[in-house]
Amino acid sequence: MSNEAVLKERRRRIDGKFVQHLAIRYAMVIVLIFVIAFFAYRSARFGTVDNVTTILIAAAPFALIALGQTLVILTGGIDLSVGSVIALSSMAGALTAKTFPDQIFLAVIVAVLVGLAAGSVNGFVVSKINVPPFIATLGMLTLASGLAYVVGGGAPINGLPASFGSIANTQILGLTIPVILMIVGIVGFGIMMRKTAFGMRIYAVGGNQLAAQIAGVKTGRVLFSVYAISGALAGLSGVMLASRVISGSPTLGQGYELDAIAAVVIGGASLLGGRGTVWGTALGLLLIQTLNNGLDILTVPAYWQDVIKGVLIVAAVAVDVWAAKRRP
Amino acid sequence: MIAMRRRNSLQKGIEMTDTNERAETATVAEDQPFSLECRNLEKAFSGIPVLRGVSLRLRPGTITALAGENGAGKSTMMKIASGQYRADAGEVFVRGEQLHSGSSQDATRLGVAIVPQELASLLDMTIYENIFIGRELSGPTGLRRKEMIARAKENLAVFGIDIDPTRKMSTLPVGLRQIVEIVKATNTGARVILLDEPSSAIAEREVSRLITVMRQLRDAGVALLFTTHKMEEIRALADHIVVLRDGGLVMDQAMSTVSDDDIVTAMIGRELNDLFPDLPDHGEETVLEISDLHVEGAPAPVSFTVRRGEILGLAGLVGAGRTELIEGIFGIRRTLSGDVKVTGKSIKRNSPPAAIDSNVALVPEDRKGSGGVLSMDILDNGSLPRLASFTLAGWLKQSARRKAVKAATESVSLRSRGLNQSMETLSGGNQQKVVFARWLVGDVAVLLLDEPTRGVDVGARSEIYRIITELAGKGMAVVMASSDMPEILSLSHRALVLRGGGIVGELDRAQLAESDVQDTIFRLASGLTQTQGQSNPATPDTEKETAR
Repeated sequence: MSNEAVLKERRRRIDGKFVQHLAIRYAMVIVLIFVIAFFAYRSARFGTVDNVTTILIAAAPFALIALGQTLVILTGGIDLSVGSVIALSSMAGALTAKTFPDQIFLAVIVAVLVGLAAGSVNGFVVSKINVPPFIATLGMLTLASGLAYVVGGGAPINGLPASFGSIANTQILGLTIPVILMIVGIVGFGIMMRKTAFGMRIYAVGGNQLAAQIAGVKTGRVLFSVYAISGALAGLSGVMLASRVISGSPTLGQGYELDAIAAVVIGGASLLGGRGTVWGTALGLLLIQTLNNGLDILTVPAYWQDVIKGVLIVAAVAVDVWAAKRRP
Repeated sequence: MIAMRRRNSLQKGIEMTDTNERAETATVAEDQPFSLECRNLEKAFSGIPVLRGVSLRLRPGTITALAGENGAGKSTMMKIASGQYRADAGEVFVRGEQLHSGSSQDATRLGVAIVPQELASLLDMTIYENIFIGRELSGPTGLRRKEMIARAKENLAVFGIDIDPTRKMSTLPVGLRQIVEIVKATNTGARVILLDEPSSAIAEREVSRLITVMRQLRDAGVALLFTTHKMEEIRALADHIVVLRDGGLVMDQAMSTVSDDDIVTAMIGRELNDLFPDLPDHGEETVLEISDLHVEGAPAPVSFTVRRGEILGLAGLVGAGRTELIEGIFGIRRTLSGDVKVTGKSIKRNSPPAAIDSNVALVPEDRKGSGGVLSMDILDNGSLPRLASFTLAGWLKQSARRKAVKAATESVSLRSRGLNQSMETLSGGNQQKVVFARWLVGDVAVLLLDEPTRGVDVGARSEIYRIITELAGKGMAVVMASSDMPEILSLSHRALVLRGGGIVGELDRAQLAESDVQDTIFRLASGLTQTQGQSNPATPDTEKETAR
């Protein structure tokens, strides 16, 4: 059959089965559209540019750690430490900004390096000592959180130069720097996973570590890298959050790792590794953030928000699992 | 003593079911219900039909072989009969009673048990716990462990197996785990036992034990259905043969009325030409040189060489260290000392990337576990080992990659829907071809093969033999570990026999062609009459007589 004939054949088949096919394939997109439609219907404020910007700004710090988390989960691991690493790097960044008030850029670098260091320790412990990722990063969660308190003697670091706040609050083309980082990050990581050897090796390690090793993949190196990247991104996320409130706090980022993991899983990734995409994570992230925002606008009490979110996260994944079974 | 008890307990089982059967025959119109009857089973996965209306009947006290190439629908058939899958159309009756489709609980209730290809044993639990899981004996004070242990021991003794039931399942060889699973099945009152490739993962001597167990069950009135790729086993066991091809039934006959050729022809739908192609001559120059390579866990280092275009077979029993040696050469298993040279150059030990850079390729034994990455597509699998040659500063050169993988998969005549088809949807033989093809996108000097045709059907097997000889013909040095004796005899220029990690014998082409060579290899491999076997590979007939 010629290409044209195939196309024609395809066009002709837009019937019930085709729609069902589409629904199965894009189940999560459809869920997201329903959620958005619901909020837009209930509140006129939801769809405004201002509110969309709010959603994006709120999403940005999560996006960075969710990207790192995606890579880690694709290798079949998990990184529980990112929330604490955010706290630690926000403290490190704030301390640097306080000590060198005119070297704001240095604060960013220090924060990212602190995150990278924490991630590298995770990577080393996981890839060289073979400690299960859950345990290794659980240890780092506690360790980094403790260090964050140590840095500030148990208190947040306040009284930072106003210029520190400019990191996260400067706008370029109407978008703040964290939002730009999020967009660049999603596109960049999305391309990396599809177009580079490194991306392919991550999928291979997660899909079957032994097979990857036999195929000559330096699996230890790949594992180390994903944790290091995850840590560095948490560092970046930490300094952005600190800059937004012009303060370093040891409680910043607490529990963020769970939202990041939820975003990745909602995005269709398998916790066993090997399956999942950056685009899926972006979608999952958007769903969670839209829910947070929409429920706020509808002034749903905070405790109930958590209840609704919890139910929706499981429901979203249940729909995806259902659809995955029917996906060809 | 054991024999007596055996007969008693088995007879008890028969009596019980006899009364059951009588009760049922009264209600069912048919005179004698079959142990298992499948009527017009149909099943499709995502639109692709796997079974197209297959009917099958098993009588009590018979063994039926279910043969067919990979992807013919054998496993699907068994999974439907045992309630794991729901058929799209058709019914399953167990002794006249209809099986509630897609319910494995119902299948267990009706007395259908399946021993799957990949056993689902609880490895960290003990043997008796495995046998009694789900039907634990308990009293007012909790579990009655002593009684379960005693009963487990009795049940195992029925099959002539004397092992401590409190041993961990993980300490048993796969063959014994399988028998524990069978014991578990009979213990739940199974009258129909389905065995999916029971012999594919176990050693030869374990196969003979399995055969004894299966015959015992048959004599006790159980209906057995099993799949295998080995003709000898069909001949040794089956009373009846059923052949599937492309999801349809193509043969359903008593074993006594068919020849081996009939079966093979039915399976592949054409006459099978000679399974093994002619071996091309090999060159003289040494390509692979192993000197004093000490694999971790082996008692002593080994040395050997392989010449250009030569196929070197590695024979031995399970646990002889063939896999370990091959993995040691490739660097995936740790080696302690020694040297691996490829075309005169030493390669770094314990580093698969270094081996790959020196054009050493490995096709591992466990295709699913270590051969390919099943969640990735053919293109990604095909390019993974040579990824560096398809990248520019880390970026994939898509068209070059696609072209090379396409050419390589064509050279092994891979059948697929395209390069983007996922590995897990390919049949076993085609997966194996991908694992071959992925090395062929670049140069290969040394090809290491570990059980190249395990779990591969007859049709694909002859193709894989053709590929191997062609590659050798192109000048590759091939090292092939195999438990399949015909493979060693017909496909190697030279063979080494391993035992306990060391080389205990070497046979050249002439010796491999001798009529009693199988016996020679077996003696070397098992350590029987060591001196005799080693000094004179052509074992004297007298020896053989006394041994038997």
